[in-house]
Amino acid sequence: MTRGVISAILRKDLVAFSRDRFYVFITVLGLVAFVAMYWLLPSSVDETVRLGVSHTGLDEILAPITAVENEALAISEFDSRDELVEAVESGTDGIVAGIAFPASFQDESATVELLVPAGLPPEYQPLMEGIATQVAVFAAGEVPSMGIATRTVILGVDRAGDQISLQEQMRPLLAFFVLMMETFALASLVSIEVQLKTVTAVLVTPARARDFISAKAILGTLLALAEVLLLMVLIRGFVGDVPVLLVALALGAVLVTGIGLLAGASGRDFIGVMFLSLSLMIPLMIPAFGALFPGTAAGWIKALPSYGLAEAIVGVTARGESWGDLGPALLGLAAWCVVLLAIGTTVLKRRVQTL
Amino acid sequence: MADSPPAIEVTEISYSYGDVLAVDGVSFEVAPGEIFGLLGPNGAGKSTTVKMLTGQIGPDSGSIRVLGMDTVSDTSKYQGRIGVCFEEKNLYTAMSGHENLRFFGRLFGIKDLDTAALLDRVDLGPRGDDRVADYSKGMRQRLMMARALINRPDVLFLDEPTDGLDPVSARTIQGLITQEAERGVAVVLTTHDMHEADTLSDRVAFINQGKILALDAPEALKLQHGQRSVRIRSLGNAGEIEETTIPLEGSGVPDSLQDTIANLEVLTIHTEEATLEDVFVAYAGRGLGA
Repeated sequence: MTRGVISAILRKDLVAFSRDRFYVFITVLGLVAFVAMYWLLPSSVDETVRLGVSHTGLDEILAPITAVENEALAISEFDSRDELVEAVESGTDGIVAGIAFPASFQDESATVELLVPAGLPPEYQPLMEGIATQVAVFAAGEVPSMGIATRTVILGVDRAGDQISLQEQMRPLLAFFVLMMETFALASLVSIEVQLKTVTAVLVTPARARDFISAKAILGTLLALAEVLLLMVLIRGFVGDVPVLLVALALGAVLVTGIGLLAGASGRDFIGVMFLSLSLMIPLMIPAFGALFPGTAAGWIKALPSYGLAEAIVGVTARGESWGDLGPALLGLAAWCVVLLAIGTTVLKRRVQTL
Repeated sequence: MADSPPAIEVTEISYSYGDVLAVDGVSFEVAPGEIFGLLGPNGAGKSTTVKMLTGQIGPDSGSIRVLGMDTVSDTSKYQGRIGVCFEEKNLYTAMSGHENLRFFGRLFGIKDLDTAALLDRVDLGPRGDDRVADYSKGMRQRLMMARALINRPDVLFLDEPTDGLDPVSARTIQGLITQEAERGVAVVLTTHDMHEADTLSDRVAFINQGKILALDAPEALKLQHGQRSVRIRSLGNAGEIEETTIPLEGSGVPDSLQDTIANLEVLTIHTEEATLEDVFVAYAGRGLGA
């Protein structure tokens, strides 16, 4: 009997969903817009290492080195150390680090400063030392005995060495946008049932509150999953370990269903439901935004319910990670799914029983 | 009707919303085929009582048995045999009349529901394929009534079923209520319309501040608590219209009536009797609209 009741409610909800122009409009528009946005983004990464050098009276010595410009290395010259420091700090022209040759470089005791921003991958340092040494060889005609001092220039955000294209970085965010739209749709569907008290009419039949809530949870999860899967197909997101990705997306769909049930049960009207949905979803978008800025994920971001979803999408599609690497993140996501679904169903149950 | 076991047995039920006692020790029975009117002003406890009767909430104390089943422990079972028509038009407006009935039929486990026949019963046959969003208030109410009859219920709960309807729609619904009662269905009718309650109900209960103040057949209540009289309109000496009221209580009534008629130029004579509203005021000290 329960299966028949749930199936009847599901079918009715699908009819209601398909006939609501607003849901259909935002669903189609969202999918088209997000897919278009994805394909308009750059799909490749500029992997050229851009270094800056500053010097006094070393023009002739540096000329053969700075003239060497290829896909791997580009060297820009600056007139003074201060200008070089500023360029490294601000990332002007993509300069990721600098080598400051002092005026007394050709003296034996000269010290070369390597201006290294915080978080720059350590492999840059030998490269820069090599360049400094090569300049010294050109200057002295033999390998000089000189000390090389380094100084760290704090820049704050490390974007150097990021090997993930903007398209890849955007995948979790786009997936999250789609899931968020389905949260609105589910929340609105639930809210209408509560406000019009159609749920009361359902609950004076042999249908039970658990049947009603189960049907809504199944519908929300299926709709969200179907849409996010469609999006991932359209943006060629199924690369790497696909089963891990499928599990992550399914858990993501359950996660937003819990939020949809909570917002739908708590909102007093359409605006209230939208406000609540947004209030709950915006913080959850932070980990997806974090994927745009690698290396910035703080501890509190990792504690957010959606962190596991964003981490799994980026991990699988961009870093080629699998169960072993993403297990903890997926477990965290699953735990949050249980918590949010429990909260959503409890609040909805209380709401329908007090109508 | 009187010999059948009661379809509804309510024993000393109470229910509170926090500190507010909404229903306070209410008891009554409704027999199969009986139309039972539950009358009272807003906030009297009618809706809470009906919510308990339909299994939406359980009583804090006391017990309710519907068709011999406990409404708390056998909720799903007995709800399969009741029909409920709410005051709110809680229909799925994006769906048609047929689709609404088919959906609720499935909730009762009925796969081959004759929705056309049901819609015909409420005069909605030709509009069955239209979306409910395009229905008038009266049409929606008639569809609500059809929905309450989907499972051929043994007990019907009707909350303000004709409130705000045009006379034609109201008569259609009143006709259905009578037909169902004749079929043996126990009907609990909640209404503000005293005339409707008087016309349809076999018995009525006045409820106020969570308690039943009086419970009897409408006629009996009116006889017990109303004052019967004769109102005579006559032409006075100066050509003005005068009214004289003669109570029909006590001894000497025929003589005084005869004297009055003999001495006046009578225009009209009407018997006057109390209305249910008068009876309610006598019990509660206020009217239903208060």
